[in-house]
Amino acid sequence: MIQKFNLFLLVVATVTLTSVYVLKFSIEHTAGEKRALEARIEEQEAKLSLLKADWAVLNQPGHIAPIVRRHQEALQLAEVSPKQFGSFQDLPMRPAQPDAGAMDDLFEMLEAGVDPIGAILEEIE
Amino acid sequence: MAVMTEASLPIALDGARKVRGNLTQTRIRWMIFAIFIGFSLVGGRLVQLGMVETDTRIEGQTRDVIQASRPPILDRNGLEMAVDIRVPSLFAEPRRIIDVDEAAEALLTVLPDLDPQWLRQRLSGDKGFVWVERELTPAIQERVMRLGIPGIDFITESKRFYPGMNEASHILGSVNIDNQGIAGIERHMDGENVALLQELGLARGNALAPVQLSVDMRVQHVVYSELLDALTRYQAIAAAGVVMDVNTGEIVAMASLPDFDPNEPATALVKDSFNRVTSGIFEPGSIFKTVTMAAALDSGAVNITDQFDARFGIRFGRYTIDDFHGKHRILSLPEVFKYSSNIGTIRVMQAMGKENYRAFLTRMGFDQRVPFELPEMRLPSVPKEFSEVGAATASFGHGLSVSPLHMVTAYSAFVNGGNYVPPTLYKRAIEEAQPLYRQVLQPRVSEYIRYLLRLNAIDSGGSGSRMNKLALGFRVGGKTGTAEKVVDGRYSSSKVTNFFGSAFPLDNPRYAMIIMVDEPKRENPQSGTTAGWNAGEVTGRIIKRIAPMLGIQPDFRPEVDAALVPPVLR
Repeated sequence: MIQKFNLFLLVVATVTLTSVYVLKFSIEHTAGEKRALEARIEEQEAKLSLLKADWAVLNQPGHIAPIVRRHQEALQLAEVSPKQFGSFQDLPMRPAQPDAGAMDDLFEMLEAGVDPIGAILEEIE
Repeated sequence: MAVMTEASLPIALDGARKVRGNLTQTRIRWMIFAIFIGFSLVGGRLVQLGMVETDTRIEGQTRDVIQASRPPILDRNGLEMAVDIRVPSLFAEPRRIIDVDEAAEALLTVLPDLDPQWLRQRLSGDKGFVWVERELTPAIQERVMRLGIPGIDFITESKRFYPGMNEASHILGSVNIDNQGIAGIERHMDGENVALLQELGLARGNALAPVQLSVDMRVQHVVYSELLDALTRYQAIAAAGVVMDVNTGEIVAMASLPDFDPNEPATALVKDSFNRVTSGIFEPGSIFKTVTMAAALDSGAVNITDQFDARFGIRFGRYTIDDFHGKHRILSLPEVFKYSSNIGTIRVMQAMGKENYRAFLTRMGFDQRVPFELPEMRLPSVPKEFSEVGAATASFGHGLSVSPLHMVTAYSAFVNGGNYVPPTLYKRAIEEAQPLYRQVLQPRVSEYIRYLLRLNAIDSGGSGSRMNKLALGFRVGGKTGTAEKVVDGRYSSSKVTNFFGSAFPLDNPRYAMIIMVDEPKRENPQSGTTAGWNAGEVTGRIIKRIAPMLGIQPDFRPEVDAALVPPVLR
């Protein structure tokens, strides 16, 4: 009886021991993976911080201004003058209704065979 | 049997119990021995572990500190002004280096700037950790790793980087190699809470919330580049400028030249690169006449319609104070301001009395530092009590020294309806600013000052007309100030510090600005050296560029200027 019990305990002990070791190694493996991932994250964060810094440099007005000056002639850029600013209030309002008389004249001309745009083109030539 | 033949010995048979007892004792002894061995192994290991010196410190710092990060600094539109970058730093473990000479030689191929003697000494010895070179680039890291030297490795450090380079150097300040603020707003932030966070080890990674400043980098760039242009155009030795939001007290731009590169903190130590806006105090010259006018008008002793006798110079003992390009006639108050008459200004000040005038300067905060975030501040120098002649010279800005920041704060208060609002470098909403308001002028007087400033810009003969020609449509008004410098104990007429104090748009003031140009020369033989020619023109060029950025619509209608004229003068 005792012998059988001992045998049982021995088996249990072996199984427990093995499983504990398996667990330990798997945890070590996971920890290793975690460390590797952390290292990778850190590396990528470092790269990201450099890219962000690059982006910030490229966005600085002090960086853009010389580029604008370099391409000023090619792109026909010029400083805006205060006279060039306008507001919506300055725009004339759209006419309340279409100019019916002018439209009628135009259609009559077209029907009569006169091409107003053609005449302008001929004039230019 | 052999036993039988040696029968002289008696046959001794132990009982089963005794045999068993002996066996147990032996077993116990063995057990004790085994346990003793076991314990001595554990004990020995403990002693061994106790002898090992764990080296967790890196030259006096733990890893947390060198990786400590700082919050990014953004301008008012969210553009980065200062960011943390992670950079590799090279360290060595001398006790693990096998061949010092070989290692040193290999390292020198990648880092030729290092001193070979110093490097060899650094790598030899039995230390666990030494820095070789901090804050390198990833490319260099790659090349060093390829060398494959044992005992040489990298650690990632946080390094402060300022993408704007020199442009906002005096605002930002700089940090030392351990990421502690040593100047500017960086130093101020440490005083607040960043240092504490770093100490607790919390300031790691990107967890810190960004700090938003009141500065607009676009405006800052314009101010900076125009001042840079002024340095060459007028061959000046220095130039500075500051733009302030008159309603919230936010400093929108602040630049001072010569400056330094915050990415290389050592350049900040170069002579003359101090922040002239906050820590430079100057005799303000005629821009101080605005203060005198505001004081006299607010006291009620002087009216905008009053006339002042500026026919003759005023004598104080041996000295006579006269006007520069004087009109030498009776001047109205707006004319006194427009022609920048010293005589007239003294009469205006005398009408209110020198004690009242001195009290007004205290009210405007000219006695103490401006309440401001930057640590680089200097006490203004204003006499505690004015003598007759002292008060007279002070009325036109001589015999006292204040910083340009004082002046811009005063100008803001003069045009915003008479509310003194302390300037700030942090973003501040109008609702947050209003509780800080301190009424220093009656709103009516603020309107008079606006009129006077605008008059000086649009009227013929006004000293601000050169400025106004460059910034038409933006309703700018301002006052020039040409302060003679003291050379060998005497005022020199060739060496001057020029100021231009302005505000715009004057129909609804939003920004005040002070521009300073130090010791300018003539731009060409036709031009002059007084402030209207240099500080004034710089102001005009800056406003023409920044007003559209700040959302100010040009308006050329003459009614706008006409509306600024006080009813009593219409």
